[in-house]
Amino acid sequence: MAPSAPQPVLLTATDLWKSFQMGDQKVQVLRGVNLRVLRGQWLAILGASGSGKSTLLHLLGGLDTPSAGTIRFDSQELAALRGGRLDRYRNRHIGFVFQFYHLLPELNVLENVLISTMIGRPAWGWPAARSEARRQATALLDRLGLSHRLHHKPAKLSGGERQRVAIARALINQPDVLLADEPTGNLDEGTGQQILEVIRDFHRSGQTVVMVTHDRAIASAADARLTLHAGQLESSLEDSSAKPQDASNR
Amino acid sequence: MYKLLLILRYLRRKLAPMFAVLAVTLCTAMLIIVISVMGGFLQMMRDAAQKLTGEVMVGADLSGFPYYQELIDELQRLPQVHAATALVRSYGLVNLNNRVLTVEVHGVDAAGLDAVTGYGGTLHWTSRDLLELLEAQLPPAEELTPGEKERVEARRRFYEQLDLRRLGMTFTPPPEWSDRPDTPGIVLGIEVSPWSVRDSQGQYSALNSSLGMQVTMTVLPLTRRGTFLEPAVRRMAVVNEFKSGLYDIDAHRVYVSFELLQKMLRMDAAEQVDPETGKPTGKVDPARATEVLVRGVPGVPLEELRRQVSSVTQQFAGDHLDCPPLWVQTWLERHAMLLGAVEREKLLLTFLFAIISVVAVVMIAVIFYMIVLEKTRDIGVLRALGASRFGIESIFLGYGLAIGVIGAGLGVGIAAVVVSHINEIQDFLTEHYHFTMWDPKIYYFDRIPTRFSPMEVSVIAAAAVLSGLLGSLLPAYLAGRLNPVEALRYE
Ligand SMILES: Nc1ncnc2c1ncn2[C@@H]1O[C@H](COP(=O)(O)OP(=O)(O)O)[C@@H](O)[C@H]1O
Ligand SMILES: [Mg+2]
Repeated sequence: MAPSAPQPVLLTATDLWKSFQMGDQKVQVLRGVNLRVLRGQWLAILGASGSGKSTLLHLLGGLDTPSAGTIRFDSQELAALRGGRLDRYRNRHIGFVFQFYHLLPELNVLENVLISTMIGRPAWGWPAARSEARRQATALLDRLGLSHRLHHKPAKLSGGERQRVAIARALINQPDVLLADEPTGNLDEGTGQQILEVIRDFHRSGQTVVMVTHDRAIASAADARLTLHAGQLESSLEDSSAKPQDASNR
Repeated sequence: MYKLLLILRYLRRKLAPMFAVLAVTLCTAMLIIVISVMGGFLQMMRDAAQKLTGEVMVGADLSGFPYYQELIDELQRLPQVHAATALVRSYGLVNLNNRVLTVEVHGVDAAGLDAVTGYGGTLHWTSRDLLELLEAQLPPAEELTPGEKERVEARRRFYEQLDLRRLGMTFTPPPEWSDRPDTPGIVLGIEVSPWSVRDSQGQYSALNSSLGMQVTMTVLPLTRRGTFLEPAVRRMAVVNEFKSGLYDIDAHRVYVSFELLQKMLRMDAAEQVDPETGKPTGKVDPARATEVLVRGVPGVPLEELRRQVSSVTQQFAGDHLDCPPLWVQTWLERHAMLLGAVEREKLLLTFLFAIISVVAVVMIAVIFYMIVLEKTRDIGVLRALGASRFGIESIFLGYGLAIGVIGAGLGVGIAAVVVSHINEIQDFLTEHYHFTMWDPKIYYFDRIPTRFSPMEVSVIAAAAVLSGLLGSLLPAYLAGRLNPVEALRYE
């Protein structure tokens, strides 16, 4: 379990609104979400399918922009990051893990992990950084029990192995936050538990995690749980131990 | 770096880019082959045309101009002039085996003409051709009676000592070919005779040649004022035939000796006769020629040569006020119509094929758009990992560039192989499929001429590379513009 001492706030979302235009219909997904993620915390966000969990993660990760409201990383407002700086934010500070792994089929396991590092560096800097990056990636994959899979293509891997590769890819740049979107959603229960174990392992070494799931059992592995309902975050009912992170009680 | 990695992987894994490469390859090869063959065709025509006329010509109309030898001497004093020779040109009729043909008759000093145009090299027949024909027509030796054997032997000896090139240079037939001792020789263009045929390889057979035949040539002499005199008729023996490489010339030109034609046309020096009394006046009309052909020293630019020849000609005309107006012309001007037509044709064909090649650009665009669609989710993932719009665009631009480079390289390679073996390919097709794309009967050159111009090839290759880039431009832009969230949701 994470230490219970007061921790600095890493991510702050204030009054987030998000709607999508579908044809001439406007879908209001988020209606004033407030959220604080503390450094070192493992936060689970519950919610029914279609409640806007993924949308929230995309906003936090700088992959999409809110219709209204602000997101702060440390003290930096994301809306103020333009073009290349937002790309760098995603590359350095955020690690995404998706339900369907989303590995690049043309690349082998090692390359899938290294590509995150490559994206963060200019091409001319790569030859010098290459061997160190490979060493780190190999070590990380070793920690995830994939050292025998380095040169295999994703298609040859099982679902659990794929998700572990995806986690390695998300963590190779030592991001401040791991944003996991239903990381066990496509896996059977046993494999799902293995993935949770992996996340727990990294969390123990200080990794901040925001995990989205519709499964209460999975969510129970986290330090804190919030539920996304009707476009707003509320503290989970049966979860009395965790304080609501809602800005309303600030 | 990830861009290069992905480009390399995409190139290796997908069938679609192979099609794009194929499109670029084919268009590149096609254009280079067309331009090389047309260029070779043009080059061959130019060479032939230049050989026919020397480089610069000075001339008057058909009634000719006097003191030409003076002009030649002056021209030969120029350091830029390698050789110059006089020519009498007229039109006439040749009766060959009771076929009457219209021809352009050139009276030439063969040695002089050879120095200017390489005339000797165009003479087609050698005694070997006649000997081979003799062997081919001979029945087996045992079927010959001793008398026949004797005659064959005599014929062989006759052919062996026959120097047809020398005959073509001297215009004197061997006694066996003429019924009178003073019969002059004539050299026909190889296509003048209606019996002249080329086989499927474009080769002429000595069997159908006019060698040794007697012909009657008729020309119309002109007075200096341009009125006609009595036609001059002469019986002659064909001593050789020439092949210049230009069909029109080979079908309509004959060569005879300069002095002979001059005399027949009454352009030789003659005492003036008073037209009323019919008595000689004591004055002499100088001999005339119609043209002087000039060949420059190698390396002298054509325009420079032309300028020098013009100034000498002007000087000459100033010295001889009784000389009719003279023109100066380069070989390029003389054959401008013919060469211009082929040049236009080359341009037109290249243009048409270039338009066809635009298809390659469209094809790359379509294929790339499909790839972008297929890779939409990967693009979303790359954006989530921190790749920029420009990074995504560069992947596809680089990909297009790679396809352009590979396609251009393969295209140049294929074109080089095809162009250098085009005649073998043609022979193969003819032999196995009876398909003849280049019919020597039509095109006159027996081999398909080609010219692999590094300049033209470079331009085409560069255009091919560019077309790869161009084709990927729009898909790359669309890929960069993809909304990463929607890309991730893309099924
Ligand atoms: N790009 C989009 N365009 C239109 N509608 C969207 C888009 N993304 C999400 N939505 C809609 O927003 C709602 C929430 O989606 P999502 O965040 O994926 O839910 P969850 O991850 O909780 O299942 C859904 O109704 C979905 O149809
Ligand atoms: Mg979702």
